[in-house]
Amino acid sequence: MWKRSLSAGYTCYGCRSVGPKRLWGYHAVRSCSAPALPAGRITARQAADLWERHFAERGVTEPDHSSHYILAYLLGAKTMESLEQEKLTEFLSPEKTEQMWKLCSKRLSRMPVQYVIEEWDFRDLTLKMKPPVFIPRPETEELVELVLTDLQMKPGTEVGTQETCLEVGCGSGAISLSLLKSWPQLKAFAVDQSQDAVDLTGENALRLGLQDRLQIHHLDVMKDAETVLSLCSSVSVLVSNPPYLFSEDMAALEPEVYRFEDHAALDGGNDGLEVIKHILTLAPQVLSDHGRVYLEVDPRHPPLIQRWVEVNVEEMHYVETRHDISGRPRFCILRKEKDHKLDLD
Amino acid sequence: MAFRRAIHLLPRGNNCVYSLWIPCLQKSPNAISQTVRFPRHTDHRCGRTTRTLHTGTPLMVAKILSVDELFSKTSLQEYLKKTEAEYNECLRAANSGVPEEQSSEDTLMSKRTKVSLLAPLIQSIRELDAKQREMAETEALLKDEDPALRELAELESEGCLQEIQDIRQEILNLLIPEKEADLSDLVLEVTAGVGGQEAMLFTNEVFDMYQGYAHHHGWSFDVLEYMTNDLGGVRSALASISGSQSYKRMKFEGGVHRVQRIPRTEKHGRMHTSTMTVAILPQPTEISFTINSKDLKIETKRASGAGGQHVNTTDSAVRIVHLPTGVVAECQQERSQIKNKEKAMKALRAKLYSMKLEEETSKRYNQRKVQIGTKGRSEKIRTYHFPQDRITDHRIGLTVHDMKSFLLGEDLLDEMNSSLQEFSNQETLEELLGENNQQGS
Repeated sequence: MWKRSLSAGYTCYGCRSVGPKRLWGYHAVRSCSAPALPAGRITARQAADLWERHFAERGVTEPDHSSHYILAYLLGAKTMESLEQEKLTEFLSPEKTEQMWKLCSKRLSRMPVQYVIEEWDFRDLTLKMKPPVFIPRPETEELVELVLTDLQMKPGTEVGTQETCLEVGCGSGAISLSLLKSWPQLKAFAVDQSQDAVDLTGENALRLGLQDRLQIHHLDVMKDAETVLSLCSSVSVLVSNPPYLFSEDMAALEPEVYRFEDHAALDGGNDGLEVIKHILTLAPQVLSDHGRVYLEVDPRHPPLIQRWVEVNVEEMHYVETRHDISGRPRFCILRKEKDHKLDLD
Repeated sequence: MAFRRAIHLLPRGNNCVYSLWIPCLQKSPNAISQTVRFPRHTDHRCGRTTRTLHTGTPLMVAKILSVDELFSKTSLQEYLKKTEAEYNECLRAANSGVPEEQSSEDTLMSKRTKVSLLAPLIQSIRELDAKQREMAETEALLKDEDPALRELAELESEGCLQEIQDIRQEILNLLIPEKEADLSDLVLEVTAGVGGQEAMLFTNEVFDMYQGYAHHHGWSFDVLEYMTNDLGGVRSALASISGSQSYKRMKFEGGVHRVQRIPRTEKHGRMHTSTMTVAILPQPTEISFTINSKDLKIETKRASGAGGQHVNTTDSAVRIVHLPTGVVAECQQERSQIKNKEKAMKALRAKLYSMKLEEETSKRYNQRKVQIGTKGRSEKIRTYHFPQDRITDHRIGLTVHDMKSFLLGEDLLDEMNSSLQEFSNQETLEELLGENNQQGS
């Protein structure tokens, strides 16, 4: 899937479209559209301004932020705002200038900034980013917040209580690793249908020293439900940011998303619910009693999910819909509750 | 303003309440050598007195009294005696057993509380009495005919003197109550004042100085907001500072700081005077100060459009508006949106809390020379004079030299702060004794 989307990127700019990824680089792109390397020395701010203008002319989205993030990354900071002011007026070394040109040329091809600098922040973690693994969005930081708040409120979760969590579709590992980082008594299982995602989650876990409490498996919940069940049961939290876009919306995505990110992590079928339904069917079997499901979804989904679960999944109860920072219905929380009749038997 | 106030003190110089204020010129060399706490700073003052006079600093500046001078005040001695009498009375009442009436039970409780509150102070007062008697006995031996005995007595009296000093310092510390806010963390706000680009450059330097100061003390320094202009200046910036005693040691930095120098950009070599303002806002705890989330409007780049998986935006700036007051805080320091939101929230809380404190305290402390905890002050507290390489704090008339070291935010700034702390303590003490005096008369 991702090979196809990348090759779309090549043809678009008339560059050679065959060959492995590493050949597709700076020289080819520069010859297409990048401004020439400056003859003399330029300051950091001049370089940022020059690329900002160039991005804007070429219709690259967020031209200012793109050039600022790339420059900040090269100068060892995270944002332009957190850079020391003096550094901006200093001249860039020839090496840094060349790197700036190389990275900005990648951005010119609409590659997302996160892939260009190969890292991004998620809550208090800095994670490695690698195409085509899905880049975590800010809304998902709020999903983690919801889970953590509930864990804190839950009675009997003092130090020493072992909690287990399952994440479906871990991508770069953002959700699981954030939870593990913030909750030292937690153990997590993470599964993804993409080998690239599994590898990247593993790499990020290792970088953050969280590998001991995380088990990562290359599994597809749509096909390998049995295997998932054999690996973990009685988890207290099932969390997922599943692919939830409606297939018909896919074509309208920005090139950054459409051409570079794994479609399998975005496309949720005709109603965007394909993977969500599989997760909810699996939920009562993997969750412990009163265990909870936390899902990030499309704003149109919550009422659909509530109705579907009531009809199709026993023991799962829809708890509530939560909104994201911009006020959209974005998160669904469900709880497993064994029927009283069964308890009485 | 500071000058006017200092003058103000003079006519009342003989008044019992204000007798703590003795103009600088009267200080005896003996008193200086006995200021226990900050000997290095005392050296500065001694060595630089004449230069200070040349730089136009007001002559009639209230000085920081030594411990000995404080203890030679009758008002202090009377206060201590009165406190001890009160303690004995409370102790007697508390020990007298079961109260006859129900109504006196509360009084008994309050007396017991008072006993436990005063106990450490009384303990120190008694220690001091004992030491002073010991000292008197030793002094008698100093006149003894036996030279060996005299030498021994001399040694002993030296040690005794030191202990007396320590106990006196301890008593002073116990007299000055810890403020609740002293234990909190803080948010530092710097804002460029008059002087355009030069003021913004200086604001940046002062911000760096406090970053150095935080580093010097091992506090955390977390930038919340940083508004720059294209020429390397700072319009305004906010930072959250936390660590042991951070508020206590930063609170005297609030006010207008003035810089006098020839700016780098000045072509004709003329000296400019510019200003910037520092505000020190205590950071409230979640419990002591709450904000209703319904009053907040949170703005992000992702607010328009579909959000979620549909879009990949890298602009993670967050702006929060507090609707009832219109106070705004924003942050774009971080790549993570939720971190930016947390930081903007922190800045907003500090801004709102300082507004609240301002209302509460502005009337109460308006009369004080060293003001703290309030934000909207226009009073010039300190001048950084580059050509003369000096920094003068106008509140206590203290001048130190070596601009470069001072701006590092290390020992020199620390010494300046200690003097301000000392001075503020003295003011607190003065208020305490003043009240006591009024009650007594």
